[in-house]
Amino acid sequence: MSQSLKHLVLDSATDYLYIGIFEEDKPLREYYELGHNDHSVKLMDELTKLFDALNMKVTDLASIIVGNGPGSYTGVRIGVVVAKMLAWTKDVPLYTVSSLALMASGHTGKVLAWIDARRNHAFLGLFEVSETSMKALDKEQYTHLDTYKDTVAFDKETTSGKPNIKKLFNSNLLTHATHIHAVAPVYLRQTEAERNLNDK
Amino acid sequence: MIVLGVESSCDETSVSVTQDGKTILSNVVFSQITTHQAFGGVVPEVASREHIKKMTVVFEEALQKAKITAKDIDLVAVTKGPGLIGSLLVGINGAKAFAFANDIPIIGVHHIAGHIYANQIESTMEFPLIALVVSGGHTELILMKDHYSFEKLGETQDDAVGEAYDKIARVLELGYPGGPAIDELAHTKAPTYAMPRIQTKGDYDFSYSGLKSHVINLVNTLKMKKEPIDKAGLASAFQQAAVKHLIDKSLKAVEDTHAKMFIVAGGVSANKHLRSEVEAHFTHVKTSVPPFAYCTDNAAMMGIAGYYQYQKNPVSDSMRINGHSRLNLE
Repeated sequence: MSQSLKHLVLDSATDYLYIGIFEEDKPLREYYELGHNDHSVKLMDELTKLFDALNMKVTDLASIIVGNGPGSYTGVRIGVVVAKMLAWTKDVPLYTVSSLALMASGHTGKVLAWIDARRNHAFLGLFEVSETSMKALDKEQYTHLDTYKDTVAFDKETTSGKPNIKKLFNSNLLTHATHIHAVAPVYLRQTEAERNLNDK
Repeated sequence: MIVLGVESSCDETSVSVTQDGKTILSNVVFSQITTHQAFGGVVPEVASREHIKKMTVVFEEALQKAKITAKDIDLVAVTKGPGLIGSLLVGINGAKAFAFANDIPIIGVHHIAGHIYANQIESTMEFPLIALVVSGGHTELILMKDHYSFEKLGETQDDAVGEAYDKIARVLELGYPGGPAIDELAHTKAPTYAMPRIQTKGDYDFSYSGLKSHVINLVNTLKMKKEPIDKAGLASAFQQAAVKHLIDKSLKAVEDTHAKMFIVAGGVSANKHLRSEVEAHFTHVKTSVPPFAYCTDNAAMMGIAGYYQYQKNPVSDSMRINGHSRLNLE
């Protein structure tokens, strides 16, 4: 049996749902669509269609890469639980990547990627993105958007972008999950209830 | 037929392996109760965050304890609602991914059907039967003329009985969850306060807001007057009134429908006073309350309900199956 070089990439942390299947770094099939609060309906349905179209099984995968936030709390959990389950039940290596890095990878230059978190705040990340690779320039954070913009230099800002997986493969932004069970989304924020409890 | 059950509608992450709608090969329940106690109740976003940390490891334990592999499973049955939407979606998407990867059909199962079928674990349903569903979110009477046939006769017009227990436990400062605390305290004393008569529109409907408000107002008045509160006597008075309401309505439903059996389902079925009153008043029909371990949320009951759902209607759901915070039992 030849060694598998196929990879599944998932991200459901933003308004867009992304599913890609790659042979090394070449896309075989990709799904990238604006959702309507329906990632839970679409993710496994579209994923099944991609696997069927390629006549593939989960066991054909060399790795699963999942966007683990930050972003929509409910959204990110849908992608993460699917990735964890597929990886655990079929013993496929699991990697996590920032959902902001996935978003930024579709652009070039110094890219500020952000997701609206209301009250003028955002989940944001700053990346240096070339045609072939990318790196993070700052730690990702939940902060006041305009204040942050005043303190950093960037070429463009974005709130969406079709992932360019090749750049991520050439980056150090993928993290191998040594314990699949322990993988959890990066929320960057405690729940309101926890914050209230801590304030007491 | 071997069914893998998945339940994540509230604050328990649970996966089970059951056989032929009867035998429990494993039932792993990870309860988040200690996490939520700090908040005085279940916090939905906290619950969802706990579910995703535990989902795959609970799957693994359930398979290991049942001594089976994914290949042995014939059906995946997952709670599709009602419940907390964020929590439901973790279980549903995890179950979908597991079913897809292992090429197993999947069905979404109603959470209340699960609670009802917890009675099938140690008892055998005989039809027609009346099911009293009592929990933090439900208080209803259901007529079942056959397996997996549900006809709602009546329900609460306002609060669920479990909700009233939790709120009264809060004003009496008995902690969370309130049901077991009131039940324990009530058993130490006879009622020392009078409770109002409960009135409802329909013969099989319930109402708990009046009783709840009466107790809360009573406590507030006593506090204002700086008079001592007999917590045990009050818990006892409330519990007797709350349970009598359930028993009276259920007796009428059983009588009117000529039911052969009366069963209790849902978290409040663990209430000791309710269990003893059922035993005392329903001597003329067969009765069942679930074993204590299966009164609260668990995946074994979902697997058993799923088995009967699939027997009646052997059609699997698609990968588009979704969660529903509100959902009718049909």
